[in-house]
Amino acid sequence: MENAKISAYQLFVLIVLFELGSAILVPLAIDAKQEAWLAILISTLGGLCLFWLYFRLYEYYPDRSPVEYIQALLGKIPGSIIVFAYILFCLYLSARVLRDFGEMLVTVAYPETPLFIINTIMIAAAAYAVRKGIETIARTGELLFVLFSFLFISAFFLISVAGIIDVSNLRPAFENGLTPVVKTAFTQTLYFPFGEVVAFAMIFPYVNNAKEAKKAGLLAVLVSGVTLALMMASNTSVLGIELVSRSLFPLLSTIQTIEVFDFIERLDVYFMLASVIGGFFKISLFFYIAVRALAILFNEQQPIRLAYPIGMVILVLSMMTASNFSEHLTEGIKSTLFTHLPFQVVFPFLLFLLAAVKHRRKKQAGADGRDSL
Amino acid sequence: MVSFFHRKKRAKESQTRSGGPEKKKEQLLEVSLAANVDHIRQKTGHSQDIVIRMLKLGSRGEMRAAVVYVKGMVDSQTIYDFILESMMTNPSLHDKLTPEEAVQLLTEEAISIGGLQRQQRWEEVFTSVMAGNALILVDGIAEALAASTQGGERRTIQESTTNVAVRGSKEAFTESNETNIAMIRRIINDENLWTESMKIGRVTKTDVSIMYLKGIAKEEIVEEVRSRLKRIDIDAILESGYIEQLIEDKTLTTFPTVFHTERPDAVAGNLLEGRVAIFVNGTPFVLVVPALFIQFFQSVEDYYARFDIATAIRFLRIFIFFISLIGPAVYIAATTFHQEMIPTELAIIVAAQRESVPFPAFVEAIIMEVTFEILREAGIRMPKAIGSTVSIVGALVIGQAAVQAGIVSPAMVIVVSITAIASFATPSYAVAISARLIRFLFMFSAATFGFYGMILAFIMLILHLCSLRSFGVPYMSPMAPLIPAEVGDTIFRKPLWAFKRRPNQLVSNNQVRQADDQKPHPPVKDQKGGGRDA
Repeated sequence: MENAKISAYQLFVLIVLFELGSAILVPLAIDAKQEAWLAILISTLGGLCLFWLYFRLYEYYPDRSPVEYIQALLGKIPGSIIVFAYILFCLYLSARVLRDFGEMLVTVAYPETPLFIINTIMIAAAAYAVRKGIETIARTGELLFVLFSFLFISAFFLISVAGIIDVSNLRPAFENGLTPVVKTAFTQTLYFPFGEVVAFAMIFPYVNNAKEAKKAGLLAVLVSGVTLALMMASNTSVLGIELVSRSLFPLLSTIQTIEVFDFIERLDVYFMLASVIGGFFKISLFFYIAVRALAILFNEQQPIRLAYPIGMVILVLSMMTASNFSEHLTEGIKSTLFTHLPFQVVFPFLLFLLAAVKHRRKKQAGADGRDSL
Repeated sequence: MVSFFHRKKRAKESQTRSGGPEKKKEQLLEVSLAANVDHIRQKTGHSQDIVIRMLKLGSRGEMRAAVVYVKGMVDSQTIYDFILESMMTNPSLHDKLTPEEAVQLLTEEAISIGGLQRQQRWEEVFTSVMAGNALILVDGIAEALAASTQGGERRTIQESTTNVAVRGSKEAFTESNETNIAMIRRIINDENLWTESMKIGRVTKTDVSIMYLKGIAKEEIVEEVRSRLKRIDIDAILESGYIEQLIEDKTLTTFPTVFHTERPDAVAGNLLEGRVAIFVNGTPFVLVVPALFIQFFQSVEDYYARFDIATAIRFLRIFIFFISLIGPAVYIAATTFHQEMIPTELAIIVAAQRESVPFPAFVEAIIMEVTFEILREAGIRMPKAIGSTVSIVGALVIGQAAVQAGIVSPAMVIVVSITAIASFATPSYAVAISARLIRFLFMFSAATFGFYGMILAFIMLILHLCSLRSFGVPYMSPMAPLIPAEVGDTIFRKPLWAFKRRPNQLVSNNQVRQADDQKPHPPVKDQKGGGRDA
């Protein structure tokens, strides 16, 4: 374990940046049509439950990392296999986010720059962050969070001032009833972005105040859920559902329509700034968590040395998983059930049950022991 | 080969022998005055400025004595009035005396000087003579009396040239440690203002003092400063910059992690916040640790002005810093990659100007920036009399000729000039100079990847800043890690009456800074509300 401590507020900041990171890019919960915002809110509730589950698991083993307690719960070898699968999952997600960003930048601003180069400098910056450690990442998060929230608040302000919101775009409500909304919430949005917080299990032990951390984490999930719902609602009301569902980056399209006083217009850089900051944190956190977990699993004393090799793995992975963007997107949607569901819900839940049973038995044994004395 | 190594080894040994005082056997003074005087003459190479004045004591002048001092380092008047004169005229010194009694008499009666020490070791003797003390040697006793007679020509207290403030004390530090320490004592009249002195530098033996407020400064930080200073083993300390570079937390950074100032009020303010000041003899720049990033954007005046004005000015400074950092980079990125972000009319103007320019924006910017850096450096080094020539030639080259020749576009001249002025407006030279360097990195990243490159460079800059520490205190605190109670004195400056506490990252105890309810109230009005003051 790295000898570092972060505060509950820093955890809050990291989770918000992490959740918003790549979710602001894509048309989230678009299968729910006009009720996308509602689907996001519903899945936020699910996200809160998931966060509670991950945190409860951490509370059983407050001074051990997930790598260690999974091994303790399942036994050395099965535990190690599960942990290794989780590391691969983190690397895959990191690579996915990297690909999302690379594609976004190529599409939006750099049509002539190779994707590989754009990804390379992003992963180089992330590797630099990973080498600096979680304390530095958290502090950087604090500073950039101010900029990030300023961008968000001013963007919402400008959207409402520009007079481009058309609430009728959100109607008709519940065209096909509540079923598609709930279905979208629990088959897509819950896993991306809310379930991805499972990676933060590696970060919890660094927080200096567990009680505060729980509150901060739940609040962070709630805040990011509401922000995303608000974002999706304004996207839909500005662009109309047809445009949103066809657009690759609806938030960008929304921001591009802003025009105030004939002077404040073409705010693409706004979108780029916010998304690069968010994406940077999402990539770096997955990257950092994978490096830490690998170091603990394979008993590497200097995890810092893993930063560049693992960075290269993520880079190559981001290029190789799909040959084009559509394939990448389809893969993302189709793979949810095979990757996200087990890693985010099934395994944590089973581990939680196991830990609860073990804990109770231990407690009982302790109580019995005391009785016999 | 063997002999070569042998010689090298021997050379090294002799070096340590002459330099390392603790390793050699302690050499003591001799009983005979002649031998001692000879030793001094020989050791100082018969230097002309070492004055050895022989005189006689005792009833028939049978006891010989000597006064030794360095011309120019001592206050001659003190030597004449309080040493030579009293030794020669004091009647009791001319009775029959043993050497021991004579020394006793000298210390207790004859010499009316504050600091007087008895010394036996040559090493101490030389150190005190070279520091400007007068040495009194008496025949027949292996001891010397060192009287503090430091004096000589020094620069007087003058106005600060590097930390100019419109409001506030006009005095600045001088080259003398004693004067500088006294200047702080004049501001803080408290017995808890402690100083510790040490000599650093094998050859220069420079006086270095640390100063802190006992009970306000955190003990660990004082101890850390002490141990880092003690660790220094170098031949010379010529300026506080030497100390700064030897006690930094991290050397591979362009950002200063030690604060330096010429203003006594700035040092006093920092001491009251629990920081430690390091005075180095021979320089008017006093070091203050631990330093935070935001400190370099603050000026003593911020606390003298009202809070709303001070806050506005601090915002302005941060803004200025950003301009000096990314000014040309934004221009490069916008004209090379993101033309669509420039409003149409402006884009047409810029494009028209750039039409005749044969270089890409990046090369154009580099040419202008380098030209400007040359002018700036020349302006500093030039003799004052011809300094104005540089500015005239510079203005012509940068402004007029380059544009007329079609080498650079007028828009670029504007960008570079604004950046240049911005870098002068940053209050701390140390931060301004690091912004100057990093600006080129930003220009490069803007030229290769536009805004995307700039954002990544910016994130990496923040990462780097967040990873720094100054004497264990995170460099970006109290913003990161966020300490809500202290944000009131960063980019903002809350009203003076609201400063209830000192920065707690630095302070161990005694956090309360002022009594409650310091907010000024208007005088209590008449019960009837007549509106007139009671």
